[in-house]
Amino acid sequence: MSDDIKKYFNGLLHKVSGLHVIQITDRDGVPLLRVSQEKNLDFALMPSFIPTFTTACDQASKLGLGRNKTIISMYSNYQVVQMNKLPLILTFVGAENCNTGHILALEHQVDGYLEDIKQAVTEA
Amino acid sequence: MESQLEKVLAEIAARQDTVGALLANRQGLCLGAKGNINPSVSGIGMAISEQVAKLEPNSAVPATICLYSGNMRCVIQKDGEITGVIFKQQAAAQAGSAAN
Repeated sequence: MSDDIKKYFNGLLHKVSGLHVIQITDRDGVPLLRVSQEKNLDFALMPSFIPTFTTACDQASKLGLGRNKTIISMYSNYQVVQMNKLPLILTFVGAENCNTGHILALEHQVDGYLEDIKQAVTEA
Repeated sequence: MESQLEKVLAEIAARQDTVGALLANRQGLCLGAKGNINPSVSGIGMAISEQVAKLEPNSAVPATICLYSGNMRCVIQKDGEITGVIFKQQAAAQAGSAAN
């Protein structure tokens, strides 16, 4: 099962040009699955990276616009798209010129593949 | 601010057989959409246009992509930083002759 999911996300990684990393973690930042190009992007695994998103997401949900679903962070060299799929957090790290719209369009496609992981996290 | 953009989209959407139209920026994010078209198509539309542009890297003229599917057509064109995606319905007469 896990191999299938990994293969699927590896396929996604190659479909979106400029995408370096796809990472699935729980809301505390514990990595569950990670696929990446050769480029080493260790900052995506920094202990503070995911919990900061969780906090930002919780705060953004208080703006009265409904539940926060996605946060896009643009940096000078990278862009990070994080999706709130509680109990999971989906993180995409790409080049600054990567197709953000394409990454966002993946949101509904991956839902089916996340169900099994979600269930495993909920049961744990 | 985007009134000019909306005017252009309204003009495109008002044309015969057009179902919907949208414009995307260089990051594949939807700048505006008119008619029956999902704004999340912008990213994939731009990805397709970028891949097609690689076929003729030295061409100065922007490529126009036309995807046929059932009785619908999707026309994509990238011009500079803007990508346009138009969904068109096949005219009844055309659809009939294509089936024959």
